Amino acid sequence: MPQNEHIEQHIRRHGRRLNYLEKKRKKEGRAAHDRSKKAKKMIGLKAKLYNKERRKEKIEMKKKILMHEKRDTKQKAEETQEGAMPHYLLDRENQQRAKVLSNMVKQKRKEKAGKWDVPLPKVRAQAEAEVFKMMSSGKRKKKAWKRMVTKVCFVPEDFTRKNPKYERFIRPMAMRFKKAHVTHPELKATFCLPIIGVKKNPSSPMFTSLGVITKGTVLEVNISELGLVTQGGKVVWGKYAQVTNNPENDGCINAVLLV
Amino acid sequence: MSFGYNFKKITVVQPAKEFIDSTLSKTQRKTPTVIHKHLPISRIRGFYLRKVKYTQQNFHDRLEMMLTEFPRLEDIHPFYSDLMGVLYDRDHYKLALGQISTAKHLIDAVARDYARLLKFGDSLYRCKLLKTAALGRMCTIVKRQKANLEYLEEVRQHLSRLPSIDPTARTLLLAGFPNVGKSSLINLLTRADVEVQPYAFTTKSLYIGHMDYKYLKWQVIDTPGILDHELEERNTIEWQSVTALAHLKAAIVYIVDISEQCGTPIETQIALFKKIKPLFANKPVCVMLNKIDITPFEQLTPENQEMINDFLKTEGVKFYKTSNVSKEGIMDMRNAACDELLVQRVEAKLRGRQADNILNRVYVAQPKSRDEVDRPSVIPGNAPQLREEADARPKIRTERDIELELDDEYMLDLRKTWDLKNAEEAADAIPEIWEGKNITDFVDPDIMTKLAALEAEEEERAKSGFYDLGGEMDSDDEEIRDLAKVIRRKRKIRKLEERVDRAPIGRAALPRKNDKQLETNMQDLGLGEHIQRGRGNYKESIHRGRSVARKRMKHNDGDAMEVDGDSGSVTRSKSRNRSQSHVRGPARNQSGVRPEEVGKAEKLRKKAQKNINQDSRRGEADRRFLDKKPKHLFSGKRGNGTTDRR
Ligand SMILES: Nc1nc2c(ncn2[C@@H]2O[C@H](COP(=O)(O)OP(=O)(O)O)[C@@H](O)[C@H]2O)c(=O)[nH]1
Ligand SMILES: [Mg+2]
Repeated sequence: MPQNEHIEQHIRRHGRRLNYLEKKRKKEGRAAHDRSKKAKKMIGLKAKLYNKERRKEKIEMKKKILMHEKRDTKQKAEETQEGAMPHYLLDRENQQRAKVLSNMVKQKRKEKAGKWDVPLPKVRAQAEAEVFKMMSSGKRKKKAWKRMVTKVCFVPEDFTRKNPKYERFIRPMAMRFKKAHVTHPELKATFCLPIIGVKKNPSSPMFTSLGVITKGTVLEVNISELGLVTQGGKVVWGKYAQVTNNPENDGCINAVLLV
Repeated sequence: MSFGYNFKKITVVQPAKEFIDSTLSKTQRKTPTVIHKHLPISRIRGFYLRKVKYTQQNFHDRLEMMLTEFPRLEDIHPFYSDLMGVLYDRDHYKLALGQISTAKHLIDAVARDYARLLKFGDSLYRCKLLKTAALGRMCTIVKRQKANLEYLEEVRQHLSRLPSIDPTARTLLLAGFPNVGKSSLINLLTRADVEVQPYAFTTKSLYIGHMDYKYLKWQVIDTPGILDHELEERNTIEWQSVTALAHLKAAIVYIVDISEQCGTPIETQIALFKKIKPLFANKPVCVMLNKIDITPFEQLTPENQEMINDFLKTEGVKFYKTSNVSKEGIMDMRNAACDELLVQRVEAKLRGRQADNILNRVYVAQPKSRDEVDRPSVIPGNAPQLREEADARPKIRTERDIELELDDEYMLDLRKTWDLKNAEEAADAIPEIWEGKNITDFVDPDIMTKLAALEAEEEERAKSGFYDLGGEMDSDDEEIRDLAKVIRRKRKIRKLEERVDRAPIGRAALPRKNDKQLETNMQDLGLGEHIQRGRGNYKESIHRGRSVARKRMKHNDGDAMEVDGDSGSVTRSKSRNRSQSHVRGPARNQSGVRPEEVGKAEKLRKKAQKNINQDSRRGEADRRFLDKKPKHLFSGKRGNGTTDRR
């Protein structure tokens, strides 16, 4: 009865088959041929996936080879020039510095410019026809004053529906979202934060009041989880964030914090 | 395994990447792949919804299977539970399964959310993106389980190679320091082939072997050696031994190496025994003083001897001086240990509730004496004498006796029993060819005479009618035989014909119109009446045809005006045309075809039909219902008002 490490034990006792190593070597030698044969034969999606994978492998391989080559060839040590530098070379470094400085200045200016300088300055306007779906009502289904919102919405906790008969805008439960994935641009980290409200939907003030969330919408999110503190020492809990994806297509809301 | 677990049957756990690839590929293969944006939106939604649901179902099923197949530590025997806890780290194992379970729930939740979102998808593009997002999120969830899946696969492989120890069976458990001869002992007792090497920790896990004793099956378990230190310091290898000692109700065989060849002084070995003694509570314990072939007990140093003598006084423990090499004392030890365990198990069983159930049903009848007459068993008077005579008779020395005597040197030699003229020729080699002749042809010197005698006998028999069948054949039999011959021939011909002009599949084996043919066939064989008698409608059909009257009418063509009233037959005037129903044009397959083309047309028709017939497809002649319940006839309720719609 084979038990525990019976395979290793058998090899230890009786050794491998006499041609084991040769076969292994040959198999390894043929591997490239087999792989190419397989790659040539495959079609369609399988081929696409396979080739993508293979390409990645090849890049890895090439990088590794390059690294080895680099290690083998002797690198010339950087010669330090003796004596004074020629004056036409002197300002090279300074120039670089200057660039960094100017960049910093620009950054500062940008930050000061105002909080409505958002990451997505321009977004496609959403037509009303796109956002609302017409619903017919009435006994003969001939009334057409009801609308259903087909985009993702935010509906506050305390919202109470009107009598369904008179409700003009229907926001389906499936499309209501309570949380957003907010990226802090400086921390380079993403958090799943509760939404407090929709500050502005650039397409239309009506969308803002309905809480429709589309790409470019500015949300107010609860960042008390992050533990940010104001200069006065108070904990900040509400901050604005701009939506960067199409939530109705992705099934989630991604946003960047506006800092 | 008789005890209910099968750790060998757990399905392979794929690594995360392969798991994802195979699941997505399955979705691709098993769900529809073509959709267009102009199709009704409900269909587009359904198309993508199906993909999402299908993927979720597959992920769910696979994860669920893992959860059910991997044993839950609470449900299995404490021995296995602890062993798995030791080998795979209890917390890690539970955490891994727990996370798999969470992943399963998460995947379900994702699918549920996206199914809801899909219901509001208003374009193919949006539905497609939602599907992509859903599958992506499911795959991410599985990808996060990468480490767990790898771990579980390792556990599965290891589990499948665990020895199948039945924790409730009769068991001998070998324990002791490393290198004292546990593995050598199990190899002696059973057919287990455990590695034996002269260094410590050759055995790194539990091994099992099976043996028979008293017609019962016993399992012998070899454990890795235990060192003499605290419980907390023990490593995984030693923990396995401890688990076995703690949880298996077995006879314990504790082995002490008195030659100290194992590198551990006797003192330490005895100390270890005392330390782990609590594990032996309520179990029969034997101590083997092993390797006496190297150092017999008498040659030990006086201190050691004294120490062992002290040790021998331990209560409830039996001691045996044994050696695995000279095999002395081994069988005594085994038998005693087994017996003791058997007694204990039987006692335990009697104490249990099950024993009562059986004992209640057992009734031992004690016959009552019928009368006062004494009826002792009778031994014939000369019995002792006969027995003596039998003993006095010289015993026949059988081959078996010789075999036992010679042991390894014994060789079976059948030639010595050969009855030859010169007894010493028996050992001679027999050549195959002798003087150019194969001697096997001449094994029997008078083979020719024997053959002649046989032939003569055979002839005699034939002459005396030994081989004749009983009696003559009568004419009846002959007739049947002839008929059978004809039938056989006919059948063969029919078969060939059938092969040439094959009836299509699905048609009746014997269509009605072939009855005629059948009939003629039968009549050819002289069996016409059989078939007529057999089938009622047949008798009529044979007489059908034009009536006699009609024939006569033709005959009377000349005087057409004559109307024969009394003949009783139907007559009609020539002036009246024959009614249309009687006109029968050419067969439909012949009309409009030139006579010489008929054969060709038939051929073409057959060719056109061939494919349909071959795979029994539905033809235009088949009866069919296009719509069993036509929608327009069954839909809607008719109100009081308009009737223009149903
Ligand atoms: N002379 C002698 N050597 C033995 C005896 N039993 C075991 N050995 C040797 O002791 C060494 C260790 O035996 P092993 O069975 O692997 O011990 P384990 O570690 O307890 O399983 C091996 O080299 C055996 O040949 C014995 O009764 N007499
Ligand atoms: Mg061993």
